[in-house]
Amino acid sequence: MSLSPYVPIIGMFALAAGFAVMSVAIAPFLGPRRFNKAKLAAYECGIEPSPEPIGGGRVPVKFYLTAMLFIVFDIEIIFLYPWAVSFDSLGLFGFVEMLLFIGTVFIAYAYVWRRGGLDWD
Amino acid sequence: MNALLIVVLAVPAAGAAAAALLPDRVGRIAGTVAAAVALLASLPLYRDSWFSYGPAGVRPWHEVDYSWVPALNLHFHLGVDGVSYPLVVLTALLTLLCCGFTLWRAPEPGRGNTLVALLLVIEVGILGTFLALDLVLFFVFFEVVLLPMYAVIAVWGDRDRAHAARKFVLYTLFGSVLLLVGVFTVVASAGTADIVALTGGGELSRTTQLVAFTLLAIGFAVKSPLWPLHTWLPDAHTQAPTVGSVILAGVLLKMGTYGLIRVAVGVAPEGARWAAPVLGVLAVAAIIIGSLVCLAQTELKRLIAYSSVGHMGFVLLGIATLTATGIQAALIGNVAHGVITGLLFFLAGAIKERAHTGDLAQLGGLRETAPRLAGVLGFAAIASLGLPGLAGFWGEAFAVVAAIDRGGPLWTTLGVVAAVGGALTAAYFLRLLRRVTHGPAIGSLAPPTLAPVEVAAWAPLVVLALAVGLVPGLVLGMADGPVQALLEALP
Amino acid sequence: MEDLSLPKIDYAAVAPMLILFGVACVGVLFEGVLPKAARRVTQLVLALLGLVAALSVIVWQSDTRVLTAGGAVAIDGPTLFLQGAIIVLGIMALLLIGDRAMEHGGAFVAQAAITVGSEADRKQAVKEQGATEVYPLTVFAIAGMLLFVAANDLLTMFVALEVFSLPLYLLCALARRRRLLSQEAALKYFLLGAYASAFFLFGVALVYGFAGGVEFGTIHDSVTESTQSTVLLYAGLAMIAIGLLFKAAAAPFHVWTPDVYQGAPTPITGLMAACTKVAAFGGLLRVLYVGFDGVAWDYTPILGVVAVLTMLIGAVLAVTQTDIKRLLAYSSIANAGYLLVGVLALSKDGLSSTMFYLVAYGFTVIAAFGVVTLVRDADGEATHLSRWAGLGRRSPLYAGIFTFILLAFAGIPLTSGFIAKFAVFGAALDSGEAWLVVFGVVTSMLLAFPYLRVVVMMWLSEPGESTPTVSIPGGLTAAALVIGVVATLVLGVAPAPLLDLTTSAADFVR
Repeated sequence: MSLSPYVPIIGMFALAAGFAVMSVAIAPFLGPRRFNKAKLAAYECGIEPSPEPIGGGRVPVKFYLTAMLFIVFDIEIIFLYPWAVSFDSLGLFGFVEMLLFIGTVFIAYAYVWRRGGLDWD
Repeated sequence: MNALLIVVLAVPAAGAAAAALLPDRVGRIAGTVAAAVALLASLPLYRDSWFSYGPAGVRPWHEVDYSWVPALNLHFHLGVDGVSYPLVVLTALLTLLCCGFTLWRAPEPGRGNTLVALLLVIEVGILGTFLALDLVLFFVFFEVVLLPMYAVIAVWGDRDRAHAARKFVLYTLFGSVLLLVGVFTVVASAGTADIVALTGGGELSRTTQLVAFTLLAIGFAVKSPLWPLHTWLPDAHTQAPTVGSVILAGVLLKMGTYGLIRVAVGVAPEGARWAAPVLGVLAVAAIIIGSLVCLAQTELKRLIAYSSVGHMGFVLLGIATLTATGIQAALIGNVAHGVITGLLFFLAGAIKERAHTGDLAQLGGLRETAPRLAGVLGFAAIASLGLPGLAGFWGEAFAVVAAIDRGGPLWTTLGVVAAVGGALTAAYFLRLLRRVTHGPAIGSLAPPTLAPVEVAAWAPLVVLALAVGLVPGLVLGMADGPVQALLEALP
Repeated sequence: MEDLSLPKIDYAAVAPMLILFGVACVGVLFEGVLPKAARRVTQLVLALLGLVAALSVIVWQSDTRVLTAGGAVAIDGPTLFLQGAIIVLGIMALLLIGDRAMEHGGAFVAQAAITVGSEADRKQAVKEQGATEVYPLTVFAIAGMLLFVAANDLLTMFVALEVFSLPLYLLCALARRRRLLSQEAALKYFLLGAYASAFFLFGVALVYGFAGGVEFGTIHDSVTESTQSTVLLYAGLAMIAIGLLFKAAAAPFHVWTPDVYQGAPTPITGLMAACTKVAAFGGLLRVLYVGFDGVAWDYTPILGVVAVLTMLIGAVLAVTQTDIKRLLAYSSIANAGYLLVGVLALSKDGLSSTMFYLVAYGFTVIAAFGVVTLVRDADGEATHLSRWAGLGRRSPLYAGIFTFILLAFAGIPLTSGFIAKFAVFGAALDSGEAWLVVFGVVTSMLLAFPYLRVVVMMWLSEPGESTPTVSIPGGLTAAALVIGVVATLVLGVAPAPLLDLTTSAADFVR
């Protein structure tokens, strides 16, 4: 078995890793250091950070809901994309399947929406 | 006629359901009627013993054979022959007597209808065991008896009933497991569970037979019970209510000896021959030890219970000889013990109820305070010790004869020792009579007279003890053919 | 770009699964759109209708023997039988789940996320109606199980495993009473279950490395023909077996069972004990009989040891239990051992007797948990054994039913338990696995004692101050109880029809 088809992939991995390491490594040297209050505070999805209760607090379940909802649509996109690329060869069957798939995702969406998952407060 | 086999099982089962569901009084009556019908249905099963010839070791007079679970090759195969017929009738009779007795008086804590229902379930199990001609079916019926008997002891028993009941269950479950493994071994290696086909052991290799016999024999020995696996028996007997003791001694123990003859010896004869000396020695040990322990007993029911150990020793000795005489002796010994010990437990119950104690030291002078009771007790004790002319004689005498006939130093010695044991039997029963019926009257019995129901319950047993004693051919005649057939089938 | 060829799908054959997935989705939608008051009845009726419809399709399709969906799904005798069994047992479990007569609001909590012990939690424990999401979740779980027993390749099997596991993890956390115990159970089950799934998946990868495919047919061929090193094969099979044995609750992968059975809402425990067992053993049977039968000689001794260990641990630890749900959990472990004995017969008889055992046990165990839901006091179910003392006096009927059920567990003749044990032991003996049978019989006897102890306790003890009352069951629980008890009795007295059915169904397609 020849390994040659894998060489470009390995090269790609090496490049990606190198870029990530380099970015982190050189940021302290190149970046300007202008601190302000917001930069030093804990990041909580852009809202006013709440002081941590004594004895450890519970993260509101709302964050999880948002994250889950994001994943639902993220996954949907992942499947939609390859389907769109090979739409012609998949034909009607693929179209119906995708409708069903989107339908099930929307059922979950409708459930979350109706049960108040989208209300922040 | 063949349908009667089903009827004999179905009627008590239906009676049990009726007794359990109906209100107390009505339920007891319904149960008793069912027991009576079952007895009536069992009687016409008789046929002349020379009716059937054939190559098989079991030649049933009547049989029914339905496929029960074809996928597992299980058959609902029932049949009756001269070996099982006396036991079937005895079971039906004793159950009827016990149900009738309960009709009159239910032991504490009442709920006589439930007691009757349980007795009938036990009857179904015992009858099924005697009638089954399929090994698995045999096991199924064998197991049916366990829990109702447990309940009878544990609910209606004496003060220490929970302990006795637990001991009974522990021992019996242990025996059942060995029995089940034995049944599995036989069925798996022979490919059939049909007792008729299995008898003679032709299908099984010698090794299999040795293993199977060991497993089956230990399983049955617990039930019989064979010394040294007997220790559950005195406790169970002492604590059980009168009717429970009667059924237990009268017929439940017979499941063990019957199983030994029909299943263990029949299916694994090579194994039986191999183990016969051990079985014989244990049987004689049971006779001697049972008698000696009896001599030291101070409690009425316990004494009778230990006497059962001795008597079953004679039965097992008969089986161990593997001769026609020996097995005949075992069969008649079975029936005689069932009749006489049944009667003895009825009497012990009656005495305890009147005197509120079973302690021999606190009983005495029964001859004066309750002459009739003393008379019947004397009769039963003498019958039990094996006076010629009464039922107990034949089984013990012929077991000894069979052992001596078998010849050889071992069997001759066993025969002699067993005969000495027989003498000891006489000794402890005479001691019992001296203590209880003779001597100065201690305390008073109330009421001293016998209730009509008691007379009715005891009379058939007294008559049977006499009849079997005077005409042993009643049992021996019908068992002759089947025993010959069984022995012919053995290699 | 080359044309993709789409797999042919026999829609009639996979219809039961499609129906149930559809019903579950509709159920989720109903949760969103229906007013609160109407939800419970609608959901229950919808779920029951879906199950009945799926069952009818299975009966209608009962002669189908086909590989479909590109070989990913095998609809054959065992599949149809096990699917039918799962649905029937699922219906019984659903009846228990749906009953709200014994407790206000049912056995399920309204808001599982509320902090345990808080004011809101106390309030919802007594006032609020239980969550109705349990119905679609149950249907999802059952649908996943149907796919699991039908899966004809390891990947489909893995997907099905997750589909039926995830709803179960959730359902375990929804008990109305003893919330902490319930949450602990769910978390434990989830973590260990995820771990087991990972094992399974890794095993799939290794087997793929060996066989170059995940379909059982491919695996079978390469197991019998391949000449390459078998390290990947054995390691892969071992890991797949771990994943499956975990679900089947076999030792030493059983440790989650007592905790989860105890913490989960009792109807869900019933669902797990009956349906999950059927599914897990259905999967195990297919993996061992269809995919890896070529190495039967190698795995039989190892799985035999697992079976013996399972029976011993289940039986011995059952003796020491003081909580009825834990006792039943250990009994369920021991029963997994007996089932393994049947599986290891590796014959047609082994297959049919195992399937019979699964059904017989399922009916009995759901009825058992049905009775457990009835015995309760002010704090909910009274599961401590000492509380059951004297129950026979308080309520002879239910104590009698429970006694009968325990006798069936103990394998006393004339109950389904005896026939089932007899069938699996007989099959194992015929295949020369006598040592397994010896252990089986001995542990059966051991296991009879805890059962008898409960029986004795119920009947022979005097009811005390703390003896709970037995609630009058609602119609749904009563129906489930009647089905369970009648099935236990009928399968003990006249098992021939079902045994014939299992025998005629006992042929895998490859």
